[in-house]
Amino acid sequence: MTTKKFLLTFTPENVSEPVTYRLVKEFDIMVNILRAEVDEAGGRLMVALEGSGMQIDRAVKYLEDSHVQVQELKEFIRKDDARCTNCGACISICPVKAFQMEARTWKVAFLNEKCIACGMCVDACPPGAIRLRAQV
Amino acid sequence: MERLRGEEMKRTYEEINQRIKKGDAVVMTAEEVIGVVERQGIESATKEVDVVTTGTFGAMCSSGAFLNFGHSEPPIKMTKVWLNDVPAYAGIAAVDAYIGATELREDGNVEYGGAHVIEDLIARRPVRLRATSPGTDCYPRKEIDTYISLATINQAYMYNPRNAYQNYGVATNSSDRTLFTYMGKLLPKYGNATYSSAGQLSPLLKDPHLRTIGIGTRIFLGGAQGYVAYEGTQYRTTTTERNGVPTGASRNIAVCGELRDMSTEYVRALSFNKYGVSLAVGLGIPIPILDEDMMRCVSVRNEDIYAPVLDYAVQSRARMPFHEVTYAELRSGSIEMGGKKVRTSSLSSYAKALQVAETLKRSIQEGEFLLTEKVASLPEERTQRTLDLHSRDEVA
Repeated sequence: MTTKKFLLTFTPENVSEPVTYRLVKEFDIMVNILRAEVDEAGGRLMVALEGSGMQIDRAVKYLEDSHVQVQELKEFIRKDDARCTNCGACISICPVKAFQMEARTWKVAFLNEKCIACGMCVDACPPGAIRLRAQV
Repeated sequence: MERLRGEEMKRTYEEINQRIKKGDAVVMTAEEVIGVVERQGIESATKEVDVVTTGTFGAMCSSGAFLNFGHSEPPIKMTKVWLNDVPAYAGIAAVDAYIGATELREDGNVEYGGAHVIEDLIARRPVRLRATSPGTDCYPRKEIDTYISLATINQAYMYNPRNAYQNYGVATNSSDRTLFTYMGKLLPKYGNATYSSAGQLSPLLKDPHLRTIGIGTRIFLGGAQGYVAYEGTQYRTTTTERNGVPTGASRNIAVCGELRDMSTEYVRALSFNKYGVSLAVGLGIPIPILDEDMMRCVSVRNEDIYAPVLDYAVQSRARMPFHEVTYAELRSGSIEMGGKKVRTSSLSSYAKALQVAETLKRSIQEGEFLLTEKVASLPEERTQRTLDLHSRDEVA
């Protein structure tokens, strides 16, 4: 089982397609909606899809066939280690504990796989070491 | 350092400096010495260790730099000065100015301010200088627009009126909305808590009554050798003590040091969203182990140091602490408050504080940094006054 994160962009033509229902029902995917911004004019949905590699590939094909623009998100935010002072201001802000204080070195580690691109950390970083890579 | 049997080990500054010059001094960081005291006890640790180094690296808003630009041809008496569009205080002599860390550009944007100018200077980046003047008989020039850098400027030294606070409050937020403060982003309904002291590494917590720290004490400041200049602003001695150390903001120091000898490794501009700009300063003080009492002071641990928890939703100077926690609890990543686990964030970097203490230790071991005895002591007793509204007669 793997988890991959995607940014799905909808147009007014395909915004009424019940994608989450079909991903669950027909492709047996576990869907976790991370962020959503959708109305009648279309919008964007950030999702984490969990399933086997083959299931996820099939799900992506279905989305693309439905003319939903699919962009895999591998890196949401980037921490500039030269700018980071390892204070830890980000640690208690992050809702999914993607920042962790390493024992002994007291350095802040960023765990990309946990990040849900909420952006909470970006304006909480005093030295400005955190930048959002994918915007929703 | 001759010692009679059964008599307490004592050292003088001269003896310690002789050992430093010979390369024989035993120097440890405040973190290392805690382990030595736990294993060997105070008496044995006192015999072994000559100097203990401390360190802190946190946002210190009351910071800035005095600059003397040198005289232009024809000369100008600068009355308004901007550095990369950030105003600097020029109400002193003709080409002197003070660039304060928290000063913002006139558009109020918090992305760039005085702290960034200081970091740019230390990074050897060019800085645009603009100045205006009404012009006088002796200073005819009325404006200047040019570039300066640390390589060209006549003089530049840091002078920080309030640094290295001895302990500080923990910030949290009881309200329904996120608060943007100088203690960082505080999530609603006690969603997190932030703190800002290096605890067991913090300089003034390791000599709580400032027996060895006073005017003239040589310190590590931003990578340079600096000095304690005076008592810091809002210096106070009235804070309650536990385990011999204050349980909240107490003493602090005004410090100065040469900007040219500093490094951006230890001086960093900070920007707090919807609050403003500040400067992170790396500061370390060597503490001479004069006797067992001094060793007892430097071996205070995070478990023994308490900080008050304050609710920043209370918009008053009279915010009362509603809880007390130790730095060991704060450093664990969460604290317990009213049965709820609240995650913590430090705003000062412990990794950097360690780096300061280690770097200072190495300079002492290599004979590059000698200890100084204070020239005068900082106040033993001082209360902090408030600002209240008065008529002319009431203050007379």
